[in-house]
Amino acid sequence: MSKIGEGTNPQSQEKRDLLVLLERAQSRSGYLSKRTIAELAESLGLSIGEVYGVASFYSFLSIKPQGRNVIRICKSLPCYLKNAQTIIEGVRKEIGINPGETTADGRFSFELTNCIGACDKAPAMMVNDDVHGDLTPKKISKILQAYK
Amino acid sequence: MAEITVTINGRQVSAKEGMTILEAALENGIDIPTLCHHQDLTPLGACRICVVEVEGSRTLVGSCHTPITEGMVIHTHSDKVLATRRMIVELLLASHCGSCFMCDKANICELRKIAADLEVGLPRFQMRKNYYPLEDISPYVVRDLTKCIMCRRCARACSEVAGHNVFAIAYRGFDSKVVVDFDQPIDKEVCRDCGVCISFCPTGALGKPREAKEEKRGKPLIITS
Repeated sequence: MSKIGEGTNPQSQEKRDLLVLLERAQSRSGYLSKRTIAELAESLGLSIGEVYGVASFYSFLSIKPQGRNVIRICKSLPCYLKNAQTIIEGVRKEIGINPGETTADGRFSFELTNCIGACDKAPAMMVNDDVHGDLTPKKISKILQAYK
Repeated sequence: MAEITVTINGRQVSAKEGMTILEAALENGIDIPTLCHHQDLTPLGACRICVVEVEGSRTLVGSCHTPITEGMVIHTHSDKVLATRRMIVELLLASHCGSCFMCDKANICELRKIAADLEVGLPRFQMRKNYYPLEDISPYVVRDLTKCIMCRRCARACSEVAGHNVFAIAYRGFDSKVVVDFDQPIDKEVCRDCGVCISFCPTGALGKPREAKEEKRGKPLIITS
């Protein structure tokens, strides 16, 4: 198995490329395993803690294995004011797990995230790369049906 | 280095170009409280205790990392500055564990000293405290993150003074904390006998393991007749 970052772009082997490399590694395997983080740290000359720190800081990087589809509901203020709580509750009822968890069948992971830039459509959520706005608890079931 | 003139608290003083406001103030006998700052470490400006008022600036500025410029007019102890510092200490104390009675470093704690100097008592804000289990498996350092105020002095001391890189900051917001590798308790595998970070910690978050029969530091003197 080749090391993460090796052979992708020979120029990107500097500390400042860390975020790009993490993103790339995540898109390849769905999450950032300890092994991935340790290999990246070694190739960039950073400590494991520093890479782990960056990986755990960003909502869109995951240090836990994820389901096939990732639901991210915005927990920032504009969505909160537009009753994001009811949407979180709705998703919880629909798929039966709490934020931070993954369904047993691996179909969905459920996360709360910081602002996703869809405040004009608050309350909003993302499923994988699709943004769904102007949500009501009623709409959730139909939206989630499209993701197998 | 060129000499430049700044006004601190109504007094014109001259200082060298490239100095920070804090250094210029100290050189002229003006005491500005600091917490995350340490003379042997790179300035960071994390704690905001050292904020001062600079005329013409939209916000208060951190004096430990702001260089002086010609003609700067600085107020280090205006009402606004003092009110802000008190609020910062209050907020730090609100999420601090607050069990000074039980703390080995209670009488050498910089946070407690600053709170006393600024006359901050019990914080008004009641909030949920983070709980982290005590990490005492290392023979060199005991870590109690419930007392950590995230000043990052340990992380900087470890990389800049000790030449290691044991500590890093992970997670986000209220969850953020100083981690070792994959957020694991500090043990003798990752950190060898050096103890540099312990002397840099302003609170009781980092300490030496207590030796058998060793008494608490700074304990009250009891005179027996």
